[in-house]
Amino acid sequence: MSGYFWQYGTIAALSIFGVAFVAVAFLFNRLMRPRKPHREKLTTYECGIDPVGEGWSQTQVRYYIFAFLFVIFDVESVFLFPWAVVFERSRNPGLVLAEMVVFIGVLAVGLLYAWRKKVLEWL
Amino acid sequence: MPAIDYHAVAPELILSGALIAVLCVDLFLPEKRKAWNSTLTALGVLGALGALFTLVGERRTTFGGMFVLDSFSLLFKFLFLAVAVVVVLMSADYLNDSLRSSQGEFYFLLLSSFLGAMLMASARDLLMLFVALEMVSVPAFLLAGFRKTDPRSTEAALKFFLIGVLSSAVMLFGMSLIYGVAQSTNLAEIGAALKARGDDPLVTASIMLILAGFGFKVSAVPFHFWAPDTYEGAPVPVAAFLSVASKAAGFAGLLQVAFLAFGGQTTAWGPGLAILSVATMTIGNVVALTQTNIVRLLAYSSIAHAGYMLMPLGVVAGQGAAIQRQAFAASLTYILVYSFMNLGAFAVVVAVGRKRPWNLISDYEGLSEREPGLALAMLFFLLSLAGIPPLAGFWAKFLVFGAAIDSGTAWLAAVMVLNSVVGLYYYLSVGAKMYLRPAEDPSPIGVPVPLVVAIAVALIVVVAVGVFPDFFNHFAPGATLIAL
Repeated sequence: MSGYFWQYGTIAALSIFGVAFVAVAFLFNRLMRPRKPHREKLTTYECGIDPVGEGWSQTQVRYYIFAFLFVIFDVESVFLFPWAVVFERSRNPGLVLAEMVVFIGVLAVGLLYAWRKKVLEWL
Repeated sequence: MPAIDYHAVAPELILSGALIAVLCVDLFLPEKRKAWNSTLTALGVLGALGALFTLVGERRTTFGGMFVLDSFSLLFKFLFLAVAVVVVLMSADYLNDSLRSSQGEFYFLLLSSFLGAMLMASARDLLMLFVALEMVSVPAFLLAGFRKTDPRSTEAALKFFLIGVLSSAVMLFGMSLIYGVAQSTNLAEIGAALKARGDDPLVTASIMLILAGFGFKVSAVPFHFWAPDTYEGAPVPVAAFLSVASKAAGFAGLLQVAFLAFGGQTTAWGPGLAILSVATMTIGNVVALTQTNIVRLLAYSSIAHAGYMLMPLGVVAGQGAAIQRQAFAASLTYILVYSFMNLGAFAVVVAVGRKRPWNLISDYEGLSEREPGLALAMLFFLLSLAGIPPLAGFWAKFLVFGAAIDSGTAWLAAVMVLNSVVGLYYYLSVGAKMYLRPAEDPSPIGVPVPLVVAIAVALIVVVAVGVFPDFFNHFAPGATLIAL
């Protein structure tokens, strides 16, 4: 039983080592680096372009809808691949095909819904 | 490839077809024909009921033992479909009055939630149970926030969502531990594995986690905070749905898990549930005393009733199969009876809310002059909720009380009687307002036909079961999961 708990000792040692490694690396970094701050250096780094406006900004809600639509098609493809493997080995391919048609049909309803609710139109 | 028993899942398939049909048809309906959605939904539910009738008396297993159709699941499915009919009847005019353009989504979400509840009654596997539970909850989050222009509705949805997700996480953690111990997700196999294993703190901990998750779903104290705010903010038919179908689905899952998977561990969860039930009924009833909003009053009353339903589960610890069967039947019967009396009360709230949308208890003053029939129906529902003898609520309480006495836990029975007295006070104070106070505005309210039908259905069940309590003997004991 003590051997069992010693396995946690390994985890503890690893955790201590991991924390110490990061702490020591940052400490030495701080001690050894030159420190000459000026205004350009202290600005927020944004791909090299001068930052504009506030950190809090509003995002177009439309992108959220694209995310939803992406989920519809993503789920579809996730299930299509394993289905293809089963389809190949199946003794009753008609039924397997029908099941997938029903599945894609249900997902297509999601697309139909998005279309009728005018989600697919830009503005 | 395992064959699927399509007849066994026919009611669910019909319901799925109906919900997709509602979503599609709604997209092409002109604005003034939106009311057709409710007709289509009702037809779908009736179709599923018809399919369910062809399955009476059957015992079928499909999806590799994940989905079982037996007398227990049949009973719950009949309950859910009956509740669905009443909720659709309640919603029809409510939606036409205030939420006309988004009816399609409403019925789509409602049917999805009921589909989850149907699956829940048949789920004999942890995975299936979890999926069914999420299927009940996720559409319900959206339904709670359906009055988009009212910040209270948004608050209701957000609170419900956060609590719902938290409880799912807690339950999943418990399920993962159980899977680690029992090496199976099938409830019966888990039961066998745990019996062979004996006492184990890990098993006890995971049982507690799973039961806490169900505690959120059935709004038992201390996991009840979301219920009053959510019921108050949600559209009233949705509040009725949450307090009846969602709660009954939670209990369906709880009963299956408790007796099938953890049937050998009654000493681990029995005493805990006894304390939980006492806390639930006491806090629910005492807080209900101070309410001024009728929906909040019914919310706290439904918390108190969850306590009564949990009580039989609290008395089974270390008892023989006979007592366990009795307790099981008592809890089951309580859920069935409670569903109808609570639905009836909410249907009356919908009716009164047509003129007074704030749903204050003072709106009920003089209701007997304005709408004598409505006031009488409400009085019947309130008296039944309080447990007055000739009505169904009395027999439900009587069975729970009997289970407590027969198992030798008389203190629980005493707590229950005290609580019923507290409950009687606040139910009767609403009754007194309806009959003894004059009406501020004596004009009649005008109850639309679907709502009359909804109230009549609930009223007939409450009165008929009260007059013929023998009715219980036909189904409740037969629908047990406990093997003798």
